[in-house]
Amino acid sequence: MAIYVIKRLLGIVAILAVMSVLVFAITQVMPGNVANILAGQFADDATIKAIEHKLGLDAPAYVQYWRWAGGVLSGNLGNSIIMERPVGPLIWEAFKSSALLAILAFIMVAVFGILLGVIAAIRQNRFADHAVSLFSYVGVSVPEFFWAIVAIIVFARYLNWLPSGGAGNISQGFWVWASHLVLPVLTLTLTLIAHVSRLTRSSMIETLRSNYVRNARAKGLPEKVIIRRHALRNALLPTITVLAIDVGWLLGNIVVVEAVFSYPGIGRLLLFAIERHDLPLIQAGILLIAAVYCFANLIADLLYAYFNPKIRYGHAES
Amino acid sequence: MKKRIIGALGAAAVSLAALMAPAMADGNLRVAIPANLNTLDAAKTKLGEEYIMNFLVFSGLTEVDGKGGVKPDLAESWAKSDDQKTWTFKLRPGVKFHDGRLLEAEDVKATIQRIQDKATGSTARVNFDIVESIETPDKQTVVFKLKIPYSGFAELFGDRQVRILPRDKFDTVATSPVGTGPFIFKSFTPGDRVELVKNPDYFVAGEPKLDAITLRIMPESAAQIAALETGDIDLVWNLPLESIDQMKKNPDVVVDSTSTSTWDGLIMNAAQKPFDDKRVRKAILMTLDKPALVEVALYGQGTPTHTMIPPSHPYFNKDLPISTPDIEGAKKLLAEAGYPNGFEATLYVPVGRPTRERLGIAAKELLAPIGIKVDLQRVPWDKFVKEIEGKAAFYTDGFFSRPTIDTSIYPFFHSTGSWNTQLWNYKNPEIDKVLDDARAAKTEEERAALYNKFQALAEDDPAGAIPYVLNHVNAYRKNVKGFSSSPMMWLDLRETTIQ
Repeated sequence: MAIYVIKRLLGIVAILAVMSVLVFAITQVMPGNVANILAGQFADDATIKAIEHKLGLDAPAYVQYWRWAGGVLSGNLGNSIIMERPVGPLIWEAFKSSALLAILAFIMVAVFGILLGVIAAIRQNRFADHAVSLFSYVGVSVPEFFWAIVAIIVFARYLNWLPSGGAGNISQGFWVWASHLVLPVLTLTLTLIAHVSRLTRSSMIETLRSNYVRNARAKGLPEKVIIRRHALRNALLPTITVLAIDVGWLLGNIVVVEAVFSYPGIGRLLLFAIERHDLPLIQAGILLIAAVYCFANLIADLLYAYFNPKIRYGHAES
Repeated sequence: MKKRIIGALGAAAVSLAALMAPAMADGNLRVAIPANLNTLDAAKTKLGEEYIMNFLVFSGLTEVDGKGGVKPDLAESWAKSDDQKTWTFKLRPGVKFHDGRLLEAEDVKATIQRIQDKATGSTARVNFDIVESIETPDKQTVVFKLKIPYSGFAELFGDRQVRILPRDKFDTVATSPVGTGPFIFKSFTPGDRVELVKNPDYFVAGEPKLDAITLRIMPESAAQIAALETGDIDLVWNLPLESIDQMKKNPDVVVDSTSTSTWDGLIMNAAQKPFDDKRVRKAILMTLDKPALVEVALYGQGTPTHTMIPPSHPYFNKDLPISTPDIEGAKKLLAEAGYPNGFEATLYVPVGRPTRERLGIAAKELLAPIGIKVDLQRVPWDKFVKEIEGKAAFYTDGFFSRPTIDTSIYPFFHSTGSWNTQLWNYKNPEIDKVLDDARAAKTEEERAALYNKFQALAEDDPAGAIPYVLNHVNAYRKNVKGFSSSPMMWLDLRETTIQ
């Protein structure tokens, strides 16, 4: 088991190293560079050359890459070229804000997705099942920016229950802080919940029809115990895989949700960096997101093994 | 153990008290702006949002009103030599930077030299190419020697990037700016907000009146409007044009609009066929219905004009009528130029600049009757800057208000102008002469007459089509008093109060 985890961790490091080269290569072929952005529209070539020289952008690409990689290996993520401030704290602050949104949304998706899926499965083809299906299909088929704007218009503008955007500070009071999270988390949840609830429903229906559930019923076990102990535990396996994939979706959707709700997270920061070709900021942001995704998948695989005794990583006898 | 429990209880009590505290102090104006700031270093700023900061935190030697006037700011007075080549500025005595140090002539000199350095990347650099030397005979006096006579030199110091910075803080100005302006920089959370507080030592007595300003970065206009209507913010800067009518219906909100010299244009590159022929450019200009373009591209929030000199400016040529569409005349000119059946042209528009996109769409329709078949191509901004501007034959572009008449026109229309060769490669010796003469003009009347002549020449031999100048619109809540929108699109909040 430990050996398996170590192997996977090494794999993640390798993936991140390859990613950093890829990201660097992509920024090299994008039209324009950060010097163009700094010099502004219609700058003459001499100005662009002067800025490139000052920033060391006139060095060969491999030298530039190595300069960046060397810094990272010694624990220095560098400075944002545009903002002229260290990347580390900039990314970390934004990441914390986004992580809060993502974790809350993830919990909502997992809890309510599974719950709705189970309800739909137990009430198969009855009203509750159709209601859940309709709700989740509408949620997933309309893009998140639409829901976000609808939420702003309804809850902020007309009802005036919740702020229309921004991030609250805990020093302003718990409610102020929490109220800023409600709409973004709801929007993220709405667009992702269908994956989980649909999958849980179908795998739950399948397990409820299985022989061991029939056996349990024949033994006279109460229905609640059958569902919780026998059916759900087995039905959850595919759901875990989908939840891990949903982490990727979540990271994508969060960019849009942060923009609409003026939420200062990593998605917007990354968009800002990419638009300005600010390489150190782009690299740090993308690597962090890639790392989160890799770890989410690792955890999913480990959970899979935990829930399914048929899968054991490492040696058979351990 | 007991101690620890008491400590924990104490901490809980403190945080509970923090929870109960009122969210905002009085006299804090909350402003919504749409985009994040790249830098807080005034010399390097390029965005409207950054210019707001420049005028709240810093000061210039002079101040312009965007309508041709210039007033003292950090300089209490100035004088020019008869040949208009030597300019002497006297600094206001006793002005302090936010860190408490006194402003000195050396700060002015170092600030301008930094702007002149190409590696700084300041867009104001080209304006100071005319400076030969800067001298500081004493701590209150700066003397500029120019290479050419230049009548508008004092106005250059009202420009957005030309804010006077403390010469010992150049390295940190991008993250923690120190200026002499009415508000002191407190904090910047990228993507979220900028916090400013009142400068109690501001050199104008009684100003500013607000205690603090929060600039909230809110990219989505629906969120801005909801926040304004519910009172989460007090002022929306540069209200999106499509939301104006809706805002006007709200009794709690004031919509304030002012005309600017920010313009959009249909750029025709004179270095490429068929736009090398002035008759083709003139035919296109003659086809455009300028008031209609104001309606389509700006939802009515703009004014038809001849060139970038807005109708509100004292130098606007009132004797020259705004051209009305003349399809037959335009067809005739095209035929003379050798295109009796018109031609096909690709018109590039930048994505994410909605007024210029709509201008392109309208132009496509308006040019069809004279046989010009326009293929409209939307191009992402990055690619637009790198591959379209100055290189394509036909595209829409636009430019922000500039503080002086010379810097608004010369770079675009003079054959040696810094932006001309990267925009439309326009050459007209008569216009060159008029613009050079205007730089050296000694009286207002002389200057006004020359710029009137410029407009007539540009109408006859158009560089491109400049159909309108845009309005700048702010919306604020009724309890905000003493605010008016600036034609330069920055926020002057020195006299503003909240009631």
